[in-house]
Amino acid sequence: MQVLKKRFAPKNRPPFDRVTFFASTVGLLAFLGDWFTVRPNRLAPGAGMELVEAAGPLVFAVLLILWHSGLIFSFNYYRRGFARAFVIMSVLLPSIILFLVGGVAQSLAVQAGESGRVSVGVGLWVALAAAFLLASVVIPKYSPGAGFRSLAWLTLVVLPVILVASGWLSDFSVLQEIAAQGSRFRQEALNHVRLTGIAVLLGTIIGIPFGIWAFRSQRANGAIFFVANITQTVPSLALFGLLIAPLSALSFAFPVLRDFGIRGIGATPALIALTIYSLLPIIRNTFVSLDGIDPAMIDAGRGMGMSRTQIFRRIQAPLAAPLVMEGVRISAVQAVGNTAVAALIGAGGLGFFIFQGLGQAAADLILAGAIPIILLALLVDTFMRLMVAAVKPHGARL
Amino acid sequence: MIKLERVTKRYGNVIAVDDLSLEISDSCTCVLIGPSGCGKTTTLRLINRLADPDSGTVLVRGVDTRKLKPEDLRRSIGYAIQSVGLFPHLTVGANIGVVPSLLHWDKMRIKNRIEELLQLVGLPSNIYANKYPNELSGGEAQRVGVARALAADPPILLMDEPFGAVDPLTREKLQTEFLHIQRQLKKTIVLVTHDLDEAIRLADRIGVMKAGRIIQFDTPEAILSRPADDFVRGFVGTDRALKRLSRMIVKDFIKPVSSLRVGQAISEVRAAIGKQPSVWVTDEGGQPLGWLDREDAQHGKSIENSMVKINLSEIALNENSTLRVALSRMLGQGFRGLPVVDSAGRLIGEITLSDVEAATAQRES
Repeated sequence: MQVLKKRFAPKNRPPFDRVTFFASTVGLLAFLGDWFTVRPNRLAPGAGMELVEAAGPLVFAVLLILWHSGLIFSFNYYRRGFARAFVIMSVLLPSIILFLVGGVAQSLAVQAGESGRVSVGVGLWVALAAAFLLASVVIPKYSPGAGFRSLAWLTLVVLPVILVASGWLSDFSVLQEIAAQGSRFRQEALNHVRLTGIAVLLGTIIGIPFGIWAFRSQRANGAIFFVANITQTVPSLALFGLLIAPLSALSFAFPVLRDFGIRGIGATPALIALTIYSLLPIIRNTFVSLDGIDPAMIDAGRGMGMSRTQIFRRIQAPLAAPLVMEGVRISAVQAVGNTAVAALIGAGGLGFFIFQGLGQAAADLILAGAIPIILLALLVDTFMRLMVAAVKPHGARL
Repeated sequence: MIKLERVTKRYGNVIAVDDLSLEISDSCTCVLIGPSGCGKTTTLRLINRLADPDSGTVLVRGVDTRKLKPEDLRRSIGYAIQSVGLFPHLTVGANIGVVPSLLHWDKMRIKNRIEELLQLVGLPSNIYANKYPNELSGGEAQRVGVARALAADPPILLMDEPFGAVDPLTREKLQTEFLHIQRQLKKTIVLVTHDLDEAIRLADRIGVMKAGRIIQFDTPEAILSRPADDFVRGFVGTDRALKRLSRMIVKDFIKPVSSLRVGQAISEVRAAIGKQPSVWVTDEGGQPLGWLDREDAQHGKSIENSMVKINLSEIALNENSTLRVALSRMLGQGFRGLPVVDSAGRLIGEITLSDVEAATAQRES
């Protein structure tokens, strides 16, 4: 509470909270766009509908008032009583929007008939993006305490998940596409996680020793970063393609390798390429973290009679760990995205739906692949941030 | 205890230590001093093999260090550097326990040792043992650094500017504590500094270094009164006489004085003053309150009303202060004599300007 008082002291405060103002304005502008698109069937072009005509004045008014409260708050952010109420409002706003449009979609779906589709329009996308942006800005800035903040984050994530899982939103065509894929969706999602996870794991196992080597040997340093930097400049699609020829030649030369899954296409070349991509951030961060340790620390360790191994284990490793883990985080988030491309060479993963959707010109199928990939990336990012915090030595936390 | 025989150390084309011989005896505090780049730190590092000599021999307790495993040698020698040397990811306790754990002491023994050492350097272990270095002040960190160096009770301590990164006030306090600890432990200490006052205060022997050689190796008194050459003379500066005073402790020069207590009868006062021009007045506990001039005592008022009150902290000297402090206070306050108190603040004597003059003359010879 002491901190709040200080931060909200009226002295020298800016006239209004810019980010809150921006997010709320975008949220209001979203009303100008189409919120729904209703189509007679899966592939046919459809007609856009604004929120008022689709949902009626009541729903429109509720959302209008909620977004306006954001504008009002952005000018009154320093008043202590307002903050708590506004955090609660902005945490619930995405779910409120989802709940309301879910109901609208249900009635639109009835009107559209058996083969008709209701999909998400630009206006609704913008509104959801603005609502999540608003919450993610407001929660860390205005929560009165750590417990409240954690609860707010949890609510922001869990409520939409419940809404999706409960089937309330199932009349949206994206979710229909996913439902139509049935077990295939679950299988490819799992495949995506597996490919990403193994690639990052391999990248970590290979990358950390190279990072240490680059730190210890001036000569190796130049060569390692030269190669690692080049791999990053090769487009992922090209790298996948480049691996097809040598690997298929290999598998033809030694047919026994095929039993281990080594072929020109499929999971093996994908894993190799994804591993190569995940190397650079890990090597770089390992090197930088070791290089950044105060030489006086190493000198003290040596002077106290630590062997090289003991210095590494007791001083360098714990001090370098957070930055190394940060490199793994960057690699992991990057790998989630790169794995999408791996579907092109038959490795599977959520990218499969994207390319299938592209082939069929079915926009909703593309989204059925793309949205889970984005969510997965956010999930991996959050998890890895927790890991970074977990390996941070206590003395460096203050 | 430590002996360097014609040791030379080069870094590339630079000769850091040049044909240097040095012998440091047991329980002696040897301070190496010189301008930066004179090789004093390298000399220190030659002793625990953080640097190996290109030629010559380093003997520690009679053993050629090249015959020992560097790790074993270093674990038997305490090593303290500026506070940056504390490991930020370990608690104060764990920092101190590093060498004992390298020596495979059992947990209980390490724990007891940590408590003992924190006590020694004046940091209560219940408060400090679980703190992290970034929660310490500069002075506290330096104390922990010293405690860490002492952890395995090594007979030899190497200290590279151990009081370098703190403000002058804290430094002086740490130096006083250092002297106190050294009087108890009697370690063989090699300390590197560029602060001449620090060297004079702490050293039994000072080695003045220049370009990888020791120009003069002698007691602080000798260095100050008989500099070997112009370099040393220039290095110790023109205020040598003053610096010499900082080697002398007030306690050794005080004279007992008669004093009065407040509330004593006026007849006793006359007797106590006798022929002196004035006399110190203390409270019931013996703390000086002021002085009474002879003329004032004759008016027959009470002592409280006729004495001149003093501000104790500005006037009184601690028995452990140096003559340099005493002189500076006399000049600053304009008094020819100052009362001296013990650590409890009780009056134990007096020191006068002529005592200081006599001390200077006596050691000059």
